[in-house]
Amino acid sequence: MTDSEQLHPYVEWIIREARRPVVTDPDARDRVIEAIRVEPLPRRTAVVRRIFAPRVFRLSPVTGALLAAGLVGIGVIAGAVSFNRDGRVAVEQPSVAAKPLPVSDTIVKFVFFAPRAQQVSLVGDFNDWDIAKTPMNRSARGGLWSVTVPLSAGRHVYAFVVDGSSWSADPSAPFAPDDGFGHANSVKLVGRGSSL
Amino acid sequence: MSDDAADVQRVLAGDVDAYTALVDRYYDRCARFAVRMLGNRDDAEDALQATFLRAYRALDRYQERDRFSAWLYRILVNQCRSVAARRAHRERVFVREEALLLNAPDRTPVWSGEDEEFVQRVLTELDPLLREAFLLKYIEELSYEEMSALTGVGVSALKMRVKRACDRLRERWERIKHD
Amino acid sequence: MRFRRTPFGAPGSRRVSVRAVRAAVLVFGASVTLRTLRAQETEPDRLARLDANTRFTIHVLMDSAEMAGLPSSALRSIALQGISLKADSKTIVAAVRQELANLRTARTTLGPVEPEELTAAAALLHAGAKPGQLEKFRVRQRGRSDLQAFTIWADLITRGVPSEDASSAITKLWDDGADDATFLSLWNNVQSDILRGLNPGAALQARVRETPGRPPTAKGQPPEGQQENTRSE
Repeated sequence: MTDSEQLHPYVEWIIREARRPVVTDPDARDRVIEAIRVEPLPRRTAVVRRIFAPRVFRLSPVTGALLAAGLVGIGVIAGAVSFNRDGRVAVEQPSVAAKPLPVSDTIVKFVFFAPRAQQVSLVGDFNDWDIAKTPMNRSARGGLWSVTVPLSAGRHVYAFVVDGSSWSADPSAPFAPDDGFGHANSVKLVGRGSSL
Repeated sequence: MSDDAADVQRVLAGDVDAYTALVDRYYDRCARFAVRMLGNRDDAEDALQATFLRAYRALDRYQERDRFSAWLYRILVNQCRSVAARRAHRERVFVREEALLLNAPDRTPVWSGEDEEFVQRVLTELDPLLREAFLLKYIEELSYEEMSALTGVGVSALKMRVKRACDRLRERWERIKHD
Repeated sequence: MRFRRTPFGAPGSRRVSVRAVRAAVLVFGASVTLRTLRAQETEPDRLARLDANTRFTIHVLMDSAEMAGLPSSALRSIALQGISLKADSKTIVAAVRQELANLRTARTTLGPVEPEELTAAAALLHAGAKPGQLEKFRVRQRGRSDLQAFTIWADLITRGVPSEDASSAITKLWDDGADDATFLSLWNNVQSDILRGLNPGAALQARVRETPGRPPTAKGQPPEGQQENTRSE
């Protein structure tokens, strides 16, 4: 092997995975052994010519070419099954939001009460859950934080992050169940109505 | 004398169980190649059965100077090609494991996980000749000389196929990355 | 094998929103944060924060999703959530795998529905609903979306309502023709009851009994004199 050739890490990964043993059906192996047992014993004597001896050592150039042609004819198969994915959202439902919040079609206001917080961020599937992306604004009096963001129609999951590390769901919104990280998020449904 | 050669001698002397030992020694490895090459377990099992049967019948022609594994693999590779050629006529398509499971509810699962299924899919997308060369080189870890003796293809042609297979896989990764 | 993005989270939808937002600023004079409108493409992929193996695995899972016609963005979102939470790789991969499994079950149960219905159903299954309980929603009804019903349903289970109770309550309302407003109103009422200390299951039962299934135009007032939000379809 030309060991000087460095393999792309992805190719290396494929190789690693492909080297793993495959799941085999134990019955299949047993069937092989059974088939062997009913075979006549192979004889050492060179004189005995087996009528049905397969030509396994060398493919004649013609046979090889034919086989190759046959194989190429098979072509690439996987990926031929394609799935139609409808990328369009066609949700015909009225805008919905937690009780006290005014909502328009695409502009959504998020409000969170955290009087002792120094900083609050909004995180969700619309901003890659990035704490830095959508800081909230503290109201002039009291502990109300708010921010207004444009949201596409559909279902959104979100949470509030207090002081950079304390995650909290929205008490005024339905829960989205814990995704496996130990806390529940909140759901915002945004409908499609008359656009601006 | 290697274990393999010794076992061959024993079989030729009449000890069938010695062949069972050979099967046990090579079945999993051959199964891995057959599955990776053919993309589904049914075909792989056909190829494996034919391989071990033919090897058994041709044992008297195994020459000790050859490595038994290389000799066996020559049979395996050809059997895989035959199965694939037969399959082309039946127009079998590589299907996801769920379809296989639905059709054969009493069989054990084919894929051991998402990753394996994905890797298998990626491999099956390769042109069969590229796939064969890639598998022999990197999964079976044969030398180019061994591969050449096994497949009847020249070394430089094999090197080109392996390289092309790697290129295709890399291209696929580039496509996945842009999600 | 290109990934196609689903509408939410896609750059395309954001470009549309820019125009809408500018209009909003003019009309409402509201202060709008423009940070979220920054084009995603110019930013480095946040998944790059994961180690190579984990990143590969997640891309593999996303590819599997795409091949099955499921929204890979949902998986990506889970991974990003995990990154922000500073979860370890193993946890993130497990969460992404779980989401894929949930999406698969949702697709098998509901058939070809919109991506957001799938994610809502996946969340509902994850919360504890059984696939069999969702089967009746397979029948598509014109003009009706099950998003709100699924959302409330998942919330109730998460709050401690027994799965069977939540299922029969939601299903009953759905069968009676309840609209989004009815589900939302139910949820508001149950939530206040729970906050007041009522047992979630009992609160739900009580509120369902008093909630008319049909849209408000056809029914009278519930016993306690609670006002329902009246929304037209």
